[in-house]
Amino acid sequence: MPALLELQRAVYRGLVAREDGDAARHIRGDGLAAAARLNIYRNTLFGSLTNALRLSYPAVHRLVGADYFEAAAQTFIESELPRSAYLDAYGAGFADFLVRLPSAASLPYLPDVARLEWAVSRALHAPDVEPLDLRRLADLAPVDQGHIRFVPNPSVRLIRSSYPADSIWHAVLAQDDAALAAIDFANAPRWLLVERLSTGVNVKRLTEPAWCYTTELCAGQTLQAAIDAVADVDASALLAEHLAAGRFIAFTIAKPAAAAQSSESAR
Amino acid sequence: MTAKSMARRSDGWTRRNSIPAQAGIGLRFQHHQAVLDVRPDMAWLEVHTENYMGGGTPLAYLDSIRRDYPIALHGVGLSLGSAEALDVDHLERIRQVVERFDPGLVSEHLSWSVVNGVYIADLLPLPMTEEALDVVCRHVEQTQTYLRRGILIENPSSYLQYRHSTIPEWEFITAIAARTGCGILCDINNIYVSSCNHGWNASAYLAALPIEAIGEIHLAGHTVHQLENGFTLRIDDHGARVAADVWTLYEEALARFGPRPTLIEWDNNVPPLEVLLDEAAHAKALLQRTGTREHARAA
Repeated sequence: MPALLELQRAVYRGLVAREDGDAARHIRGDGLAAAARLNIYRNTLFGSLTNALRLSYPAVHRLVGADYFEAAAQTFIESELPRSAYLDAYGAGFADFLVRLPSAASLPYLPDVARLEWAVSRALHAPDVEPLDLRRLADLAPVDQGHIRFVPNPSVRLIRSSYPADSIWHAVLAQDDAALAAIDFANAPRWLLVERLSTGVNVKRLTEPAWCYTTELCAGQTLQAAIDAVADVDASALLAEHLAAGRFIAFTIAKPAAAAQSSESAR
Repeated sequence: MTAKSMARRSDGWTRRNSIPAQAGIGLRFQHHQAVLDVRPDMAWLEVHTENYMGGGTPLAYLDSIRRDYPIALHGVGLSLGSAEALDVDHLERIRQVVERFDPGLVSEHLSWSVVNGVYIADLLPLPMTEEALDVVCRHVEQTQTYLRRGILIENPSSYLQYRHSTIPEWEFITAIAARTGCGILCDINNIYVSSCNHGWNASAYLAALPIEAIGEIHLAGHTVHQLENGFTLRIDDHGARVAADVWTLYEEALARFGPRPTLIEWDNNVPPLEVLLDEAAHAKALLQRTGTREHARAA
């Protein structure tokens, strides 16, 4: 008699790697072969996860067609199963998988569209948060201002694409063939900010310097370090816009090394 | 039942159970707006716990709907039957959904889905052994302690049986309820589907369940597949109206258990809200008939 863990590992190998033998030995036939019984569960498993990927990547699904998507999803699922039943968080690696998929090479922008869709999906399901109370900033001593480290709103994602990924994504989801045909696929890199507003998910184009500056801030660099890192950007105007849009939810003050080891936080 | 679980049941679960012994429907995303617009005359609603994790629009909808309807949470992914440890991150996500929506009932399945730290997205059957019983009881206890409330465990539909199973499913789930103080979510369609697939007696299954542990009933549709070798297989796909035989079995259940919160589930090819309300109306009529009979018996 197999121990429970041994049995569950055998069923896993049967369902995912399609090596039915070890599991089938422990399953009663009773008029239907063990392999056929396992296949019922395998169909549900792959069907549910393919559906979860289709919900997160609707534009990729339309770009490649249902049959191709299903075949690609099946290979992806075999290589990357979810870590939990919270399936909204499943599929992070799909864009990188598409990069490695030889048959997808004819659509070089496909992984970037997938990355944008993943950012949109994560923004849709990001935790509900309160934006930073701006009065907290007003109370700061001027000497501390350069040492601010912001905590970004969890819905904010920054995406860089060598292709006009946002235009493709919009046109494909709107099924707007005219708009799709009009896109200049070459020489149109995009620097994008994805966020969830009260009205829905917003995909906003930034200039390259604004994107770099925002990326520094969202990565937890101090305000002064972000300003120093990027030239050609109106840092104070951009910061004001980010604050007004609720793109930060908290901050800490990184004290100069001589002053203190720890930092204080405020929400 | 231990003294500890008795205490939990009396001052936690029973008092907070705001789900009436009436008919409800499973709420799916397709019907969020319709429920807010129509405000159907429905005693309660149930949602899948995993669909309301994180934040965003679905949770905002459920916040609004929750103001007018008692809500039950039905989880599909805790994997109480896994030999490995429960995923405490997932348990914490469930706790957060429970905290936000203050549900009348919280349920999970008698099944497993997690092995080697990955989630196999289906409700897989357990071998009915003493070892599996110990594992499930330990995980039910852990869940009830963590959530600080009792939960219900649902009997699964299944398409295979293991050679080394030694305990009938109805005895297995009865033992879990007795040992942990949890309740039973009696899925009538699952009893019917599994009984047909495995040659069990569905009425005997019902008759073996402990009346006082039944906290909720589920009803759903299934499909019948005639296989080439002549074998008839029923698949619990929640994609159709409740079958006539399942309604009959539901009447048997009501006669034995008395009125219980009863839910219509529909997950594939979800129809317009009116179809679900129509199914619920049928359950409501049967519930009322049972209630009247009980009343007459008491008088």
